[in-house]
Amino acid sequence: MRIKEHPILEFNQKEKVKFTLDGKELEGYKGEPIASALVAAGIKVLSRSIKYHRPRGFFCAIGKCSACLMKVNGVPNIRTCVTKLEEGMKVEIQKGKGDFN
Amino acid sequence: MTMIKRASVVIIGGGIIGCSIAYNLAKMGCKNIILLEKNSLASGATGRCGAGIRQQFGTEMNCILARESIKIFENLSQELDYDIELNQGGYLMLAYTEKEVNQFKKNVALEQSLGIDVRYITVKKAKEIVPPLNTEGVLAATFCPTDGHANPFNTNFAYAEAAQRLGVKIYNFTEVREIKTENNRIVSVSTDKGEVLTPIVINAAGGYSGEIGKMAGVEIPVYSQRHQILITEPVDPLFKPMLMSFSRNFYCQQTPHGSIIMGFGDPDEPKGHDIGTSWQFARDMAQKMTAVVPLLKEVSMVRQWSGLYNMSPDSQPIVGEHPQVNGFYMAVGFSGHGFMLAPVASRLMAELILKGKTSIPIDRLDIGRFERGELIIEPSVV
Repeated sequence: MRIKEHPILEFNQKEKVKFTLDGKELEGYKGEPIASALVAAGIKVLSRSIKYHRPRGFFCAIGKCSACLMKVNGVPNIRTCVTKLEEGMKVEIQKGKGDFN
Repeated sequence: MTMIKRASVVIIGGGIIGCSIAYNLAKMGCKNIILLEKNSLASGATGRCGAGIRQQFGTEMNCILARESIKIFENLSQELDYDIELNQGGYLMLAYTEKEVNQFKKNVALEQSLGIDVRYITVKKAKEIVPPLNTEGVLAATFCPTDGHANPFNTNFAYAEAAQRLGVKIYNFTEVREIKTENNRIVSVSTDKGEVLTPIVINAAGGYSGEIGKMAGVEIPVYSQRHQILITEPVDPLFKPMLMSFSRNFYCQQTPHGSIIMGFGDPDEPKGHDIGTSWQFARDMAQKMTAVVPLLKEVSMVRQWSGLYNMSPDSQPIVGEHPQVNGFYMAVGFSGHGFMLAPVASRLMAELILKGKTSIPIDRLDIGRFERGELIIEPSVV
């Protein structure tokens, strides 16, 4: 699910990298937002709402709405829509408000 | 709401102090009370405060007032039929200097003699109470498990609604323009919504109490000073108590919602009514707190704001009637402790007005102490 051709924007070929979501191996492009790689891989649920645990997906895409907060390399509450993907990243769907202990 | 012609008491200020006085007066049977608020309830210092409630003070009077205040807080949700989100997770006070250690020992002895459940604890014990604490430089600590914090908005609204149920009329967005006196007696209060005749005015205007004093023709030796606070994103529970240090100059608490609130007093802050915010504060605050609780480095800050401390010369409130103006009562100059002292101060104020005496002696909190040179010096304030 990626736009390959666009009338205005150019998508330069980037380096492919591997990362994991809850232990499952996925592929994305180095330097793209983590959330973008997840969406491209068909992942629609990035987090759960605090109170009723309803699914939350890619929403504002500019680091404001908290819908894409995930645990990345062990650090909770990472805004995956504005954080660049790197080789070997360990991404997890987090429970609760972020466990920093 | 059009202004009524006559009231038995006019309270100026819709913060926690004004609303709790309104409630306590009405509860004790006083009728025809009105409360005037320039903006909306809790829009001043109450809604901007750090929300801490502590009994760990260095003077007998403060300890007694705070102790009695906590007792009221403990039953307040029930009494006012409104959840004030009281969280008694304790206050952990950290000592970083020998001088502080000595002060803490004195404070604990005083507090214990007054029946306050507080203990002087080792650094190891402090770490057990707050596991993410960086104990570097900490020499000792004191801990009082019944201290804590509450939601200042809820508490303010709880008092206001309970007062309204007892017949108090609250006028929001009503600004006091003039206070008229005759032969050193209060006669009336003029507002932008009309004039009301009254024999009693209570100045509970917090950061603007000095200005209200001038309207009544008196100089109250208070000034206002900005104090800034920042708040983080909500995270899972990290620690229960309020963390506080005088020498390192900070306080920090995690709200029930999970956000962490922190603040400090800037010694170079000019006097005045500025309630803006600065990036310097955000930087300095973050540096201070991440040194004390290192894992906060990973937690994002989301907002900052500020409010006014209404400071008195000895950082103690001025509670009582003005000796030169009959009927002009003051509950001002709380110096950053208005929220935690409101339950007891308001009850005593109501007793003073309706009975002429108080169940806890507060004569020393009168405005005359500054002329007499009988200042009450509290060694333990941020």
